[in-house]
Amino acid sequence: MTKSLFEKYGGFSVVSKIVLDLYDRLLDDDEVGPFFDEVEMARIVDHQTKFVSSLMGGPASYTDDQISRMHARLTITNAHFDTLQGILLQTLLDHGVSEEDAAAIAAAFEARRTLVVE
Amino acid sequence: MSIAAINEQLLRAIGVGVALLDLETLRLRFYNDTFREWFGEIEVGQHMTDLFSGLDAEALKAGLSGEGRYATETSFRLRRRTMTVALSFNRALENDEAIAVLVCQNISRIKELESMIDSYSMMVERNTREIKREKEQVEKLLLNMMPRSVYEEYKTFGIVTPRLYDPVAVLCLDFIGFAGMVTAHDPGVIVSELNDIYTAFDRIGEQFGCARIRAVGDFYIAMAGMPDPTDDYAQSAASAAVRFIRYLKQRNETHPIQWTARVGIAAGPVVGSVVGVQKYIYDVFGGAVIHASRLRYFANPMCIVANRALTDQLDDRFVAHAEGKIELADEQPEEVFKIEAEVQASGGG
Repeated sequence: MTKSLFEKYGGFSVVSKIVLDLYDRLLDDDEVGPFFDEVEMARIVDHQTKFVSSLMGGPASYTDDQISRMHARLTITNAHFDTLQGILLQTLLDHGVSEEDAAAIAAAFEARRTLVVE
Repeated sequence: MSIAAINEQLLRAIGVGVALLDLETLRLRFYNDTFREWFGEIEVGQHMTDLFSGLDAEALKAGLSGEGRYATETSFRLRRRTMTVALSFNRALENDEAIAVLVCQNISRIKELESMIDSYSMMVERNTREIKREKEQVEKLLLNMMPRSVYEEYKTFGIVTPRLYDPVAVLCLDFIGFAGMVTAHDPGVIVSELNDIYTAFDRIGEQFGCARIRAVGDFYIAMAGMPDPTDDYAQSAASAAVRFIRYLKQRNETHPIQWTARVGIAAGPVVGSVVGVQKYIYDVFGGAVIHASRLRYFANPMCIVANRALTDQLDDRFVAHAEGKIELADEQPEEVFKIEAEVQASGGG
């Protein structure tokens, strides 16, 4: 069985650092940060944990339908999506994920664009 | 720079929020830069309860006058981040004035980590439940393919040692005119009928200790006396066979499609083993299987034919009529018998 990227990069102990770093970067970003203005911390963290885990093949997976429903009430533009993608890619690279794997994760993210962009 | 000045600089710059308050009035007397950064527009003289809306002033006073300390937490939003700060109040004396030192530690990261661990452990627990469910399904499927003891051996060692079971009874059954029935009826109807009949056979077999090994199309094969040896293996197979026929006769009275079976049962040795590497299947083979399979060809419609090794073991609940000799193996003609029994509504042979 091929190893998932989640396992390849050390499982939860490493992914948890990526998740918290991504959380910091998203909240600090003035373009995508405001989406989280009214959201409870525990919910954001839960969302980010599942988000990164599912992109890396960890123990979470969202169906397309779930993703659509979760973002239905948000006005997300292509620019927002691009920003988040850029932050995600940089965070992964900064945590030692290879360019090839980071690109694969970003591509998995890209595949969901139409589900969330208005 | 004097020591006092250095101390003040340190106090101001430290990454921990520090404040002094008047113990009597609970009003702020001093705060450092970090404190101001976290709690915003504050002024000396401000009351603690104005600063921290959820603060229990009575509990604070009681704590400080009693043990001399009080600890609590407060959460607030700083920009869009939820900050959680641990507040630790300690009573102190300054020139006979009663004051309290408030030390604030930023524990937001700990709270975020706690949330992440909660989230992750819920995912893992859900996955574990799913894996357990899948495992149970696989186990159920494998238990349909092999006896439990064989499955346990396979699960523990990854292989199954071929084993000789001697003696056992093998029951082989098929339906007369099955090929014609398949073409004459809708496939869905035939499968549904077979499901119905085999389910009934399985139930009868379970009742008498004669378990199905497999069914291929209209060929149904069951064994008694394995994997655990039993003394009444012949009775078990014969009892099941008699009831299979009785069930079909009763069924035919109320169903449009008529099923006519013939049954061969033989006693003797068999080998049981998992055969195959990728597509493994638990199989039984050997003399008794071949004999039972051949015996069924000599059975008239809705009749049961058995070899001597089996009929010798039957008690007086069964009647065995000699049916002549046939070659079961090695061109040695053997006596075969037609078996009949009075079937009671429940139990018995």
